[in-house]
Amino acid sequence: MQRALHLLHPPEQGHPSDVLPLIEDILNEMAEAEDWPVTLTMRANLILEELVLNTLTHGDTSGLTEIDLELESENHALTIRLSDDGSAFNPLTDAPVPDVSLPLADRPIGGLGVYLVKTMGEELEYRRENDRNHLKLVVHPE
Amino acid sequence: MEFSHDRSGDTLVVTASGRVDGSNASDFLESLQGMFDPGDQRIILDLGGLEYISSAGLRVLLMAAQNLDRQSKSFSICSLTEAVGDVFRISGFDQIINVFPSVEAAKQG
Repeated sequence: MQRALHLLHPPEQGHPSDVLPLIEDILNEMAEAEDWPVTLTMRANLILEELVLNTLTHGDTSGLTEIDLELESENHALTIRLSDDGSAFNPLTDAPVPDVSLPLADRPIGGLGVYLVKTMGEELEYRRENDRNHLKLVVHPE
Repeated sequence: MEFSHDRSGDTLVVTASGRVDGSNASDFLESLQGMFDPGDQRIILDLGGLEYISSAGLRVLLMAAQNLDRQSKSFSICSLTEAVGDVFRISGFDQIINVFPSVEAAKQG
């Protein structure tokens, strides 16, 4: 099953987080049609929220005008392909990584989102091509 | 998100349900902090009805946990759904916040 979503920057209305219901709707539709385990829907939603919001939030400084999202699922494995026309940014190497073994008092508040993307995603690939960022990853239920 | 709370003695049980993401995480923090009373010594957060949490929501839980820890108050989370429990495990939150299967277990904790 395949689905795609084309997002513009700046968002047609209001705030970057307005795109979240669009992502949720597509994932719920795929999850229902293919009877996804709840952990797959959750992981996919969390990863997409993180990557799309990050890209949109930095859109003003990166010269972003659009994000293309492609989803392809087979046997409860979801392949995510994201591409955008903002300035070069590789979330796999350019974002800080938190130490999740630190005790409560020392845990930093930020940085968790990209860590979760890298931990929940497999076969992660980034490339810069034709002045666009391309990110591919695969999500499994466990 | 929907909230309710139930206070009994020095124990406050907060129930949060729905979705917490980048659009409402700051409301989540505000609502949570608004429910704490100086007299509460033990705070239990029942997330049995929580369908979705992203890193924005985890940040709020971390801030609340650190804040209560500095005040030497007890904070625990209970009744995680399978999907939210998966996120807790991967983020290592189950290692730094006490997680119980039910409100009753958290009270006995």
